[in-house]
Amino acid sequence: MTEKRRHQVSQRDAPTRWLVSLPPTLFLLVFFLAPALLMIGASFQQPGDFGGLAPAWQNGQLNLSLETYHFFFGDWIYAEIFFRSFLVAAATTLICLLLAYPLALAIAGSARRHRHLLVLLVILPFASNFLIRVYAWIILLGPADLLYTPFAVIAGMVYVHLPFMVLPLYTNLDRHDLALLEAAQDLGAGTWTRFRRITLPLSLPGIWAGSALVFIPVLGMFAIPELLGGTRDILVGNLIKEQFLDNRDWPLGSTLSIVLTAAVLLLAALSALVGRPRRSAP
Amino acid sequence: MRTLLARFSSVSAVLLAVLAPLAHGEEVLYLYIWNSYLSEDTVRRFEAHCHCRVNQDFYSDNEEMLAKLEAGASGYDLLVPTGNAVEALLRQQALRPLDKQKLPNLKNVKARFRDPWYDPGMRYAVPYATTLTLLGYNATKLAELGLPTDTWALIFEPRYLEKLKGKVTVLNSQRELMAAAMKYLGYSVQETDPARWAEAKRLILRAKPYWATFSNSTYIKDLAIGNIWVAHGYSSDMYRAQQDAREAKRPFSIDFRLPKEGAVLAVDSFVLHKGGSRPDLAHQFINFMLDGANAADGSNLIGAGNPNAAATEHIVPEIAGNPGIFPPPDDLQRLEMLRDFDPKTRRILSRMWTEIKVR
Repeated sequence: MTEKRRHQVSQRDAPTRWLVSLPPTLFLLVFFLAPALLMIGASFQQPGDFGGLAPAWQNGQLNLSLETYHFFFGDWIYAEIFFRSFLVAAATTLICLLLAYPLALAIAGSARRHRHLLVLLVILPFASNFLIRVYAWIILLGPADLLYTPFAVIAGMVYVHLPFMVLPLYTNLDRHDLALLEAAQDLGAGTWTRFRRITLPLSLPGIWAGSALVFIPVLGMFAIPELLGGTRDILVGNLIKEQFLDNRDWPLGSTLSIVLTAAVLLLAALSALVGRPRRSAP
Repeated sequence: MRTLLARFSSVSAVLLAVLAPLAHGEEVLYLYIWNSYLSEDTVRRFEAHCHCRVNQDFYSDNEEMLAKLEAGASGYDLLVPTGNAVEALLRQQALRPLDKQKLPNLKNVKARFRDPWYDPGMRYAVPYATTLTLLGYNATKLAELGLPTDTWALIFEPRYLEKLKGKVTVLNSQRELMAAAMKYLGYSVQETDPARWAEAKRLILRAKPYWATFSNSTYIKDLAIGNIWVAHGYSSDMYRAQQDAREAKRPFSIDFRLPKEGAVLAVDSFVLHKGGSRPDLAHQFINFMLDGANAADGSNLIGAGNPNAAATEHIVPEIAGNPGIFPPPDDLQRLEMLRDFDPKTRRILSRMWTEIKVR
C-alpha cells in the first residue's frame, strides 16, 4: 500500500474511529476525570463537623483555602511516607522483574502447544479472591515468625503483582524473531551476548509495560500492608484510606490522593518517554 | 414465529420476576448493620413473624458507615450506629424520630441506658447491644509467664512486654488506642490537653517496638490459633476468638478482661434512617428485638452486652456472669463512651497518629 492510499483510507475511517473510541473516552471522562476534579475541589475545602465537607460557600463568603496543602507540605512526615511507599513499590517492581523475566522467557521458549496452558497457570491465582490469597500468607508466614514484618509486605506485594509482570513480558518475548538470534549465533555471539545485545533491548517495551503495571498499583495498595505489615509498615495507600474511613478528613485525604496521582502521572509520562519504540534501527 | 414467542416469554419472565414480589405482597426491610451482629436465627424468626424479608448490608466500622451514607448510600430503613455516630447522624438531620406508640417493648430498656448524652429519652435511638474495648489474652500462656491480665500495663509497660515481644496486637484506631493510653495514665478518653497527648504518645512509642502489629480484625484468628498472646480489641471479638479456640480444641484457652484502670464502652443502637421507605417494618423489627427472648440472642450468640432488662433471664449463665461482657457495678463506673472531636482536633490527632506509625 502506498503512502497516499494509506492516507485516504485513514481519512475515510476517521468518523468510525471516533465513534468507536467515544465510549471509552466518555467512560474515562466520567469515571476518572470527574472524580479527580471533585478531589481537587475537596482538597481546598474544610472538613465538615460530623464528616464530609463543610460547604464551599458559607455565610456569604467563599470557604476555600490552601490550609490542607500547608499542613501537608509543612511537615516531613507525609513526605517520608511517600518516599517509603516509592521504595516499596520500586523493590516490588525489581523483584517481580527478576522473577518474571526467566519465567516469561521459559514460556515463550516452550513448545507452542504448552504455551496457552502455561499462561493460564500464571493467571490462575486470579480465580480466587485477592483477600483470601493474602490471608493465606498470614497462615504461611505466621509459624515462620515472618508475619508482620517488611519482608511479609514485600512478599505479599510480589506475589499479588507477579502475573502483571509476566504477561506483558511474555507477550513481548513471544514475538521476537528467532532468525535474529540464529544469525547472531552464526556470527559467533555467545548466549550472554545474544541476550544482552538482542533479547534484552527488544524486550524493553515489555519491561516498561510490566513495571508500570506493577509499580503503580503497589503504590496505592493498602490491604497488604494492613494485613501483613508490622507496626511501622504504613504506606501512602493506608494513609489515604485512614483519612476517609477512620478520620473523616476528606480534604487531607484528597490532598494526599492528588499528590500521589500527580507523582504517578509524572512517572507514567517518564516511562512512556523512555519506553517509546526507537524510530531508527540501531 | 418461534423467535417472537421466545422473545415474548423472556420478556414476561423478566416482568414476572419484577412483579412477583409485589403480587405476593413481599415486603423487605433494609438493614445496615455491623458484621456478625445479628444471628441468622433471630432474623429467620422475625421474617416468619412479619411475613417479610430482611435484607442486610454490613459495615465493620462506624466511620465506614458514615462515609458511605455521606457518599449517598441510601434505601436503608435501619442503621446500628455507636453513640458518637448517632450524634453525627442526628446533627446531619439524617434520622427519623421514633413512634413510641409502636414500641410497647421499649419499657424493657435498662434505666441507665435511657438517657445517653446523644439522645436523652430515646427519641431516636433504641440501645441494642454493648461492647467493651479491653484486653483478650491467651490465658494458658500468660499464666505460664506469670503476667497480670487486669491492667493496660500489659500492653504499655516494657517490663511486661519484654516477655511478649511480637505477641501483642493493638487496635488500628487512633481513638481507641489513645483512649487506652489515656485510661492507663489516669485521664479521660475525651482528653484534649496537648501535654497529656504528648505523654500518651511517649507511652505508645515506648511500647510500640514490642507490638506485632496494629490490627482491627485479624487478631481474632491470631489469638485463636496462638500466633499472638495479647490483643487490644472488642469484647464480642474476644468472645468469638474464645469460642473458635475451644471448638478447634486448642491446647490453650482464650480469655478477656476489663483492665482495672477503665475502658471504652460502646453502646450500639437501632435508628431509623430518613432514606428508608418502610418505617412501619422498622418499628416492627425494633419492637421484636426489644422482646426479652429475642434481645437475649445478641448476648447468647454473639457475646455482646445487653441493655435490655427483660433479656437477663434468657441469657445463659456463662455469658451473664462474664465480667468482660457484663461488667460488675464497680467496673461500670470506670467506663467511658467516645465522643467525637471537632475537625481541627481530629486533624491534629491524625497527624500524631501518623507520626506514631512512622517511627
